[in-house]
Formats: sequence, structure tokens, C-alpha cells
Amino acid sequence: MTTTVIMRTTARVIVPIILVVSISLFVEGHNLPGGGFIGGVLTTTAFAIVYLAFGLDFLERGVLGRDVDPGKEPSRDRVVVAYRRVFEYGLAIAVVSGLVPLLFGRAFLTQTFWEFEGVPIYHHVEVASALAFDFGVYCVVVGGLLTILSVVGAE
Amino acid sequence: MSPDLAMVVAAVALPFVAAGLTPLLFRLLDERTGYAGALVAMTSFALLASQYSVATTSPGTVALAWIPSIDVALRFYVDGWGLLFALLASGIGTLIFLYSPAYMHGESHLARFYAALLAFMGSIIGVALAADLIAIFLFWELTSLASFVLIGHYTDDDSSQYAARMAMLVTVGGGLFLLVGFILLSIVAVDVPAVESAYNLAAMLENPDAMQSALRDRGLFVPVLGLLAIGAGSKSAQVPLHFWLPNAMAAPTPVSAFLHSATMVKVGVYFVGRVRPILVGEEWLILFATLGLTTMTVCAILAVAATDIKELLAYSTASHLGLMIAGFGFTSIYGAETGVFHLLNHALFKAALFLVAGIVAHEAGTRRIDALGGLRHDLPVTAAITTIVALSMAGIPPFNGFYSKELLFEAAVEASHYHDIGALGWLYPAVAVFGSIFTVLYSLRFLGLFFGSRPDGLGDVHEPSIMLILPPAVLAALAAVVSVDPQLAVRVIVQSGVDATATDPEAMHVGLPTSYSTPVGMSAIAIGVGFAAYPFYDRIHDAIRSVPAASPPVSANWWYDAVVGNLTGVGSWLGSRVHNGLLRTYATWTLAATSAFALVGFAATVAVAPADLVGVDATPAIALVLAVAVVAALAVVTSDSHVAGILTLSILGFMIAIFYILASAPDLALTQLVVETLLLVIFLLVIEEIPEYYEVDLGRVARDAVLSVAVGATVFVTVLLTTDASPEGSTDVARYYAENAVPEGGGTNIVNVILVDFRGFDTLGELVVVALAAISILTLIVMRSGGGDETGTDDTRADDVTADDTRADETGIDDTGGADR
Repeated sequence: MTTTVIMRTTARVIVPIILVVSISLFVEGHNLPGGGFIGGVLTTTAFAIVYLAFGLDFLERGVLGRDVDPGKEPSRDRVVVAYRRVFEYGLAIAVVSGLVPLLFGRAFLTQTFWEFEGVPIYHHVEVASALAFDFGVYCVVVGGLLTILSVVGAE
Repeated sequence: MSPDLAMVVAAVALPFVAAGLTPLLFRLLDERTGYAGALVAMTSFALLASQYSVATTSPGTVALAWIPSIDVALRFYVDGWGLLFALLASGIGTLIFLYSPAYMHGESHLARFYAALLAFMGSIIGVALAADLIAIFLFWELTSLASFVLIGHYTDDDSSQYAARMAMLVTVGGGLFLLVGFILLSIVAVDVPAVESAYNLAAMLENPDAMQSALRDRGLFVPVLGLLAIGAGSKSAQVPLHFWLPNAMAAPTPVSAFLHSATMVKVGVYFVGRVRPILVGEEWLILFATLGLTTMTVCAILAVAATDIKELLAYSTASHLGLMIAGFGFTSIYGAETGVFHLLNHALFKAALFLVAGIVAHEAGTRRIDALGGLRHDLPVTAAITTIVALSMAGIPPFNGFYSKELLFEAAVEASHYHDIGALGWLYPAVAVFGSIFTVLYSLRFLGLFFGSRPDGLGDVHEPSIMLILPPAVLAALAAVVSVDPQLAVRVIVQSGVDATATDPEAMHVGLPTSYSTPVGMSAIAIGVGFAAYPFYDRIHDAIRSVPAASPPVSANWWYDAVVGNLTGVGSWLGSRVHNGLLRTYATWTLAATSAFALVGFAATVAVAPADLVGVDATPAIALVLAVAVVAALAVVTSDSHVAGILTLSILGFMIAIFYILASAPDLALTQLVVETLLLVIFLLVIEEIPEYYEVDLGRVARDAVLSVAVGATVFVTVLLTTDASPEGSTDVARYYAENAVPEGGGTNIVNVILVDFRGFDTLGELVVVALAAISILTLIVMRSGGGDETGTDDTRADDVTADDTRADETGIDDTGGADR
């Protein structure tokens, strides 16, 4: 895939921004528009742009500093394995977060929240236990979509 | 005094448990596993026999809770009829297990053979005693499965495979008809006050008249009767489904003896007797008497045409099953007596005959009828056994088969006294006599194997080991006992069987006739003509054989082959059309089928009135955005390069997102935006790989256009109908979420609180969908061997988007775009 300098330069600038936005969407999802699914899709978009600009092997070669064996099966790729792990763990996190309430004698997937006062900078922070579940959602979406993306892209 | 639950359950469960343990037993005992099986069968027999006094004096039901929520239980109803059948199955099973090790000596796969045989016996005992429609169906189909394994025992033999498949198709297919009949029966039973559970057959049998009138009121009497008849007829090899039984002789001989005498094929007859009190009436008479007598005659004729001793016996089995069905078909008390008594007699002589056929094949090395003869010098004991049981099969007095055949003649003569059936009144007895002539003929032919002159080609034959002789000898001895004192059998068990199957039970008397009556005359004609025609046996045999040879469609087997062959052909053709490895084919079929089902469903349930379209209120902003979306959609279709198409498609998506914003759904809009962005990026990623636009023929364009319109219409109608149903103001659910989001979920974004808290389980389900989609893509790509996947990304994205049902319409548009390319 041939890419232009413009493309690569733009990607360098916007990918971090997209990542930050996606994380903020994910964290604020409980009170503002956003959440695990949206954050996950947006994160995936950031990765997709990296692929688009720098090619599929960029992550391994450029970021992790490894050599890439070009003739490898896409499904055996280390990066793909990592993506697969992400959605597997995400699913596990979601299920485990649902199981925790059982220890407290509540129904499966019961959620609660805690409020913290006097935290520096933010002053009032509210942490919902649903965030753990939402993080599972986020991981599954990111891992699942990236798996698809990299495997299909490798073709 | 009611039956002992533990005893009954143990009798049914023991064979299954033993079947599971067979591989272990086989390691310990090797070929002697058969004797362990005999021990199991004997134990079952003893357990059942312990219930004998209860069954014959005060029949009752015992139940084991199974699925209480829908009132299904493992109910066992122990009465004379069920016990007779269960005792036959376990008793003859014992003899078969004793016979098998010697017969199957040196064969392979014996562990599987014995396991299947045990499971088979357990299922039969289960059918005999079960009194719950669902449990009966379960055991019924288990017998089909076990027989499939047994008939197909020689797995590398083509004819064995063919026979096993055929038996499975016919009997399991018939079982499905039976299931539908059961369901109809249970629907009716709910309304009958005396029957407390919809599936409780025992309760139905206690109130037969109430059941029958309820069935007639609902207009379901004839359908239920027909469905049960198909189920029983397929299992009991009634014309025109008799063809599987002769083919089933591909099984090892012990299996044939078991299958044909005491078990599988009798299940249909047994069941007809079981439901007889509920359904008996004029329709019953005409249906079952006609069916039974036709089968009896046709199969007797075919038995005369047989060239192989097992084939002869198989057709004769079908013929005798017809006799029993016809007996139960006649509504008088004689009918019930025929059915019950002949079930017992037939089990005794037919099992023995098959075991004898096994001995002959084992010792002489051939089963061809014309290659055998004069065996009495070599096999004197076997010849003695055969004389008793073959004459019993022929219905020659004083042998036991005679008594039950006499009852059939009596029932046939009496039939016109009970119902006004016109010409059938004399046709039934005539056909019964005609069929009996052939019965006498083939029975004599079988006996002829042991008499007359020895063919030259026959090698050295000598009497087999004691284990092969003992089982048929026991059966022949029992047959002889019944022959000498038929009243003994009646007193012991037949009478209570008749009480269970007859509508107006009375004391039963059988014996040798002392004065002339019509049935005696009929027997005399049948036996006389049979003996007189025996010298011409070969000519009759050839004449019958020439008919199917001249015109194949006469034989039912030809029809089976034609139907199954064509189905296979059509199936593979359809498979190659639908499953051709091209993604666009799958997409076409999936989308077309989904749209068709959805539209048909809408059409069937609600009228889509165009009047609903009146009163569209959209703000100018929304109208403008949607207008742009429409223009973009048109542009997608007319674009002449991939990039243009993708970009215009994205315009469409973004317009939808803006529409969501205007409709105050920020979460939805955000989701739509990011998904749209991701889609755009993915498209750009794979765009290089997609070939340039190429010319497609008109047919494909037309197909795509039709499909697009169908999908669009489906989505349109769906949106129309679902939004049309929206209530005025907010619903209780919406209010609940709005009120509880902050105090309960601690979040002000209701949508997300619903997603992760109130409806967390749904979200978990969606996560699994996303994960599965990823796994399937991996699998697809890894296993792929060529074929275009230009829509692959599109389709999987659609999968993921569908995971969130709120974006269903977006998916629809997406798919239309995909189908257009």
C-alpha cells in the first residue's frame, strides 16, 4: 500500500488525539454520551488509521522493534494473537465483574457506585462498578474489531 | 397395591446402564459379554415378573418427576398388556444374548454390538411401560436409533449401510408423525377434566369415552388417528412402508430374530393396541382392518416370492404384523383377542424360526432356499424344532398359531354385525382367507428345507453347538405348551392384555373347535388350498417374481429408491447453488430469505395500511438532512468508482448520524459517527484489493436490484410498523429508567446505565456476539481457499452493528450498499 507524506504526517497528529478522545468517551460514558462500545470503536479507528498510513507491519516493526516474517499466516501473527487475547480477556472481565456481586449475595451483574469527595483537581468523583463491566465491553470491541481488521487487512 | 416404582425403573434403566458399561465388560469378558447381557436381560425379566400380580389384578401408574414445569414425567403404567410386551422383550432378549456369543464368534466390533443390543432392549421395555406421551416418543425413537446401529452392524458392507439408512428414514420419519399426533392428543387432553396432565396417557386410557368425544368435538379425531396410524404403520412395516423390514435382514441373525419377533416391529402393533380404547370406532375399523389385511396378504405373497430364507421370514413377519393390526382393527372383543394372543404366539414362533435360519446359514453356509433341502438327516433336533414352529406359523391345528388365526377369522366375520360397512363385510373374511393360503404355502416351504431330497451342492452339515440349539428349543417348547393348553396362556397373561385393549372386556376362551362354524370352514379352506397348491410352489414363486421385474413401480422399494435418489440429487444440486463458496451468493440467499420471512410475517400478522403515512411531522432541519441522505443513496448506486461509492455511502451514514442528533439521541449519534468513520477507514484499507468495476450481465444487475428493493422494503416496513406502535408520551419502562438511573445506577447517561446496569445481561450477550464474529472471521480467513471476499468486511461489520439492535436500520442501508456492489 502506498501512502503519501501528507497522510503519514496527518496520522501522527490525529491518532493520539483520537486515542485520548476515545478514552475520555469511555471514562465519561456513565454521565455523558459515550461508553465502552463507542470508545472501543473509536480506538479501533485510531489503529485503522495507523494501518492505513504505515502499513500492517508497522506496529511490530516500528513500535515494538521486532523483525517481521512476511510469509506468515495472519492468524499466527503476534499482534493478532495479542488482539485475540484482548477480546478474550475483555469477555472474562465482563463476566467476572458480573460474578463479583454474587459474593455479596446480590444477583448476577448487579452494579453499584461509590462517590469520593475532596479528590484533588476533580473535587467530586463518582466511580461506578459498572465501569469494570464497561471496560470488558471496551476490550471486547477493540480486540474483536482489530482482529478482524488486521486479518482481513493482511489478506 | 400399586406397582413398585423402584422395580419398574430398574427394569427399564438396567439395560441402558449395562449398555454404557459394555466396553468395560468387553475388556474383562471378551466374547463372553453376551452371557453378561443375558444376565442383564434375565434380571430385567425377573424385576418385571415381580410386578406380575399387580399388573394382572390392579394396574396402576408410577411416576418419576422429569420436567415438572410442563407436566412431563417418566410415568410407567404397569398392566397386563404392557407387561406382556416387556416380558417378551426381556425374555426373548435373554435367549438372544445366550445365542449371540456362539453365532457371532470371531466377529469384530462386538462391544458395540452388545451395547446397542442392550440399549435396544431397554428402549423396547421403556416403550412397553411408558405412560407419558413424551416418554413414549423418546423410547420410540431410541429404538429406531439402536436398530440403525444394529442393522448397520457390518459398517463396511454397502447393503448393510443401505438397509440401516432405510430403516432409520422410515421409522424415524414415522415417529415424527407420531409426535405430531401426540401433540394434538395432548392439546385435546388439556380440556378433558378427568385427565390431570396433558401428556398422561394412563389417565387418558382411564377415560377413553371422554377423550374420544373431546377429540371429535375439536374435529381432531381423524387427524390424530391418521398420524398415529402412520407412526405405528412405519414401525410395524405396514404396506406401503413394509419394504424396510426385508432389507433389515442385512443385520446379523440374532438381531433379526430379536427385531422381528419381540421388539421393534411389534412396537407399532403394541401401540395400536394401547390406544385402541380411546380411538376405537368405525373409522378405526376401516383404517386398521384394511391396512392390516392388505399388509397380511401382500407380504404373504411376497414371502412366497422370496429366494433367501431370512427374506422369506422377514416378509412373513410383515404379514403377521398385518394380521395383528387387522385384529386390533376389528372393533369386537375377538379383535382384541386376536391382537394380543397373536402377539404372543408370533413372538414365540418367529424368534425360533429366525434362530433356526441362523443355524442353517451357520452350518450350511448358504441362505438360498433352492440350495437347501433334506436337512433333517444332518440337523435332527433343529428339524424337530422347526416342525413345531413352522406349523404354528402356518396356523395348522393344534399348533398355537391356529388359535389366534381362528380368532381373526371370527373377528372378520363378525365385523359387519357391529358396523354397517357394506361390501367390506364379506371382503374382509375373503381377503383374510386368501392371505392365509399364502401363509400356509411359505410356511410349508420353510419346513421343506428339512425334508425332501438333499441338493448335490450342499456340503457337510452337522448339528451346531448346544448354545445355538438351546434358545430356539426353549421357544419351541413354550410354543408347544401354548399349543397343548392355550387356556393356560390366556389365564396367565393374555386375558389381562385383552382387558387393557378391549373396550368391553369379557372372559376369553380358546380351544380346538368341536363343531362346525364359519371360521372353522375358513381355516379348512386356507389350509386345504395351501396344501393343494404346494406342489406348484415353484411356478407360483416365478409368477410372482415376474411382476415387479416387468414393471418396477409395483414395488415399494423402487419408490423408496426413486424418492431418496431424487432427493439426494436435488439436495446436491441445491447445495451447489446455495453453497458455492462465493460470499455474494451467501449474502444474496441470507438477505433474500430474511426479507422474505420478515415481509411474509408482517403480511400475515398486521395489515400495513398506507393511511399511517399521513401526518409526517419533521422539522425543516430533519427534512433537509434526510433529503441529503436520499441524494447520497442515489449517488451510491450511480457512482462509477469504488472510492466515490464509499465516500457517498459515508455521506449517507453521516447524515443519519446528524438526524440522530437532531432527534436528540446523542449516544446513538456518537455510535453512528464512530462506526461510520471506522467503516470508511476499513473500506479504504481494502479498496486496493478490490478489482476495478467490471461489466456485469443484465441478469445479475436485475437480481441485485430486486434484492436491494426487497431489503429496503423490509427495513422500511419494519421501521414504519415499529415506530407506528410507539405510545403517546412515555411508557412505564422509560419512566422507570429515567427515575432510577441516577439513584440506582449512579449515572446521568440513561442509555449507558441501561446498557451496563439495568440490561447488563443483554450487553454481555452482545459481547459474545462480537467475540464470535471475530473468531468466525479468523476461521474463515484461515480456512479460506480462494473466492471473493470483497464484501467480507462489510458483512462482518454488519454483524457487529446488528449486535446493537438500536442500529438495525443503519444495518439495512449498509447491506443494501453491499448488495449493490
